[in-house]
Amino acid sequence: MPRTRRKNRSVESARPAWMEKPSRLGITGKAVVVTLICVATIYPFLTVLSTSLSDSTDIANANGLVLFPLHPTFAAYETIFSGGIVTAALVRSMLITVIGTLCSLAATVGMAYGLSRRDLAFGKIILLTALFTMLFTPGIIPSFLMVKQLGLLGSYAALVLPTLISAFNLVVVRSFFMGLPQELFEAARIDGAGDFRILVKIVLPLSKGVLAVVGLFYAVAYWNAFFNAMLYLNSDQWPLSMILRQYVLLGSPLDTASVGEISAPSQAIQMAVVVISVIPILLVYPFLQKYFTKGVLTGAVKG
Amino acid sequence: MALETNRRTFLSFAALSVLGVVTAGSLAGCGTKGALNASAASASVLPKYIPLKGATPDLAGTAEGVPAAFFNYPAKPFRAVPAPFLKGQKITAITNIFGPPPTPAASNPAWQEINKRLGGTVDITAVSSDDYDTKLNTVIAGGDMPDLMLNDGAAIADIIGFLESACQDLTPFLAGDKSKDYPNLANIPQAFWKPAVQNGKLYGIPIPRGMTGGSGFINQTFFEAAGVTDTSTIKNADDYLALAKQLTGANRWALGSTKFGLIPFEHIFHVPYNWTMKSGKLVKDIETPEYLEMVSFVQKLYAAGCFAPGSEGWTKSQMSNAFISGQVAQIYDGLPAFGKPGGYQQTVPAANPANKVAAFIPFSATGGKATVWLDNIDFAWTMVKKGSADHIKQVLQVANFLAAPFGSEEYLLMNYGAEGTDYTRDGKGNPIPTPAAALNTAVPWKYLAAGPNTLYSPQFPDAIKVLHDAYSKLVPIGVPDPTVGLFSPTNAKQGLTIAKPVSDAVTNFIAGRGSLKDVKSAISTWKSAGGDTIRAEFQKALSGATASPSPSA
Repeated sequence: MPRTRRKNRSVESARPAWMEKPSRLGITGKAVVVTLICVATIYPFLTVLSTSLSDSTDIANANGLVLFPLHPTFAAYETIFSGGIVTAALVRSMLITVIGTLCSLAATVGMAYGLSRRDLAFGKIILLTALFTMLFTPGIIPSFLMVKQLGLLGSYAALVLPTLISAFNLVVVRSFFMGLPQELFEAARIDGAGDFRILVKIVLPLSKGVLAVVGLFYAVAYWNAFFNAMLYLNSDQWPLSMILRQYVLLGSPLDTASVGEISAPSQAIQMAVVVISVIPILLVYPFLQKYFTKGVLTGAVKG
Repeated sequence: MALETNRRTFLSFAALSVLGVVTAGSLAGCGTKGALNASAASASVLPKYIPLKGATPDLAGTAEGVPAAFFNYPAKPFRAVPAPFLKGQKITAITNIFGPPPTPAASNPAWQEINKRLGGTVDITAVSSDDYDTKLNTVIAGGDMPDLMLNDGAAIADIIGFLESACQDLTPFLAGDKSKDYPNLANIPQAFWKPAVQNGKLYGIPIPRGMTGGSGFINQTFFEAAGVTDTSTIKNADDYLALAKQLTGANRWALGSTKFGLIPFEHIFHVPYNWTMKSGKLVKDIETPEYLEMVSFVQKLYAAGCFAPGSEGWTKSQMSNAFISGQVAQIYDGLPAFGKPGGYQQTVPAANPANKVAAFIPFSATGGKATVWLDNIDFAWTMVKKGSADHIKQVLQVANFLAAPFGSEEYLLMNYGAEGTDYTRDGKGNPIPTPAAALNTAVPWKYLAAGPNTLYSPQFPDAIKVLHDAYSKLVPIGVPDPTVGLFSPTNAKQGLTIAKPVSDAVTNFIAGRGSLKDVKSAISTWKSAGGDTIRAEFQKALSGATASPSPSA
């Protein structure tokens, strides 16, 4: 028996450290660390949710951040959703995101396909011109003047057209297209297919992954964009991001004498805004996270 | 008031420019309201104050800026603008908005009624207050400026250049007796027009406030328990220090405000408001011995443990919560934060019915007369784009409509919406808002032009009395900033940047991380880094403004 135990010990010690059966102390330690991480992650969310469901007295007594609402109320959510302004903005944001993403994807794919062809005349110059916009972005005033000249002020197209193609996304898609086997293109040409048919019938079916990645990049950008909306649209056209931002900004500190000029909302409303703005991302992100990683790697490995 | 106007007019015609400068300085230093009227040239371009025979207030206002107070909305509102005047025209405007956008005009009965009464439309570009500088500058650069543009003081760097090249000098339209063509604008006392006088000309329409932001608030219950019923009777700084120590203890602190809430202490120690005149020379507040005395005193309070730990880094919300919950006995916040819906008069007793709030009325650290700053004269003022005389008159008529005073039908429409949809009236005639009112009345009319500030809260008449009493005590001891209405390019470009090291040194000194020597050194650096240049530019602007009175006076 002692021999067997000794033998077992020698077998155990031959294993790498992480394959050893953990000790009780180790398990406890890990549990504590994992619990602490969970608490640190969940605590802010719980506080935000609880504060959004509290009345102003509970918030004041808890010095701003409530852990458990003693007198739960949906008043903050009722305030935000009453009048239909937020609901209308939500619909606007969804339409802008869907239509903008489709337009951007179409334009990016078209341009990337053209630039991925080695025989394109002035292809390099066009590509460099596109890449130039990654390094030198246009200023606010030139962009505004351009949008104004095009007659797009006050139009939702002003949110889409100036940012229709992202140079980064263009490079990602072009790189992917260039990585496809050339033999497929040659075979298709021999069969009499033109560029449009090659793109639709061969390239796009093989590029679902990269299209998902780039589509996600565009969708997130359109959903979060507020600056162009501020610059080009009237307040009755604002998307959700602008409206929610207005609620949050109301509570920002003012260090002038006119502090208190604004009837600042309760912190409950600000926290309710955080909850509302986080929900769509929380719903979608877990399912699309892998594409984010893939997209970053695609851009990183291929030039 | 008419007598005062005549005195100003006399001074302007006498063209006592040098005397004007000296008077401005000396009066500013003394902390009297007279300094507001010091610039003869400015006074000559101001519209004559003609009080409107409208609603009779329960507590009267004054021409020097104490707001009138009403316990109830007049049962029969009067019509301040008798007939539509725009004849189908459209006037454009850009201004701030401090919340979610309003219900669009198509489904907003109040907005439709306002357009009907105007006889045309006002197309407002409402911009989030945080983005206003960016948007306004972009719109200006785009070359398609609206008729009315809010100037919030920070948006345009070269304001004088912009005003002269692109904005209408309103002096020929409004100065003196000409104001009678716009009775609601003439109803605004002259003190509120003064900040809109730039380079000796009237370039804007004011949005009046209460003259002073006050000196903060106290938990009156705590102060009374400590034996103080009226803070203005505190004899000196030492007595206040003893009181602060008494108020501190048992998880409660006497003080706790963002960045140590220095302003009340600056009032107590007679620190000038921004600049003051001494022997004909502008002196910055931080250069005065009073400033160093004030800083040293606050350090003593900190060392005595009278500040809530970490309160210098609090946000406004944290500060308010600490005050509401009774954690701190005194804070610095603007007077408007008292009586507004959800203001301290409501939230402090709600958190603890035993607690009452009062405005802090400053005492003098050295005995004698206290001072306060006239730091909330206007919210901002609105510029008018250059145009033909007829068009400018139309635009001013719109401003006149928007300046309809409390008690008028127009004021009700703009602030409470349409009767039935947005409010119903109680037995005393007070509008009781419906749920639809919040968004229907969010159209930012009041950030384009407005009548004199008014105190009104039918639910809390005691709060109105407290506020009116506070304004009545504070406005007469108000000290103005002699550089209001003057432009310094260096100040516009780097004023805030070079002042930052001074405020950092002060914060470090009070928190025990630095010395008074560091503060003095930071002040010296401020002078060489641009402070002296700013002084010279203001000095030049001051002499220029008083040396060349407007011919239209």
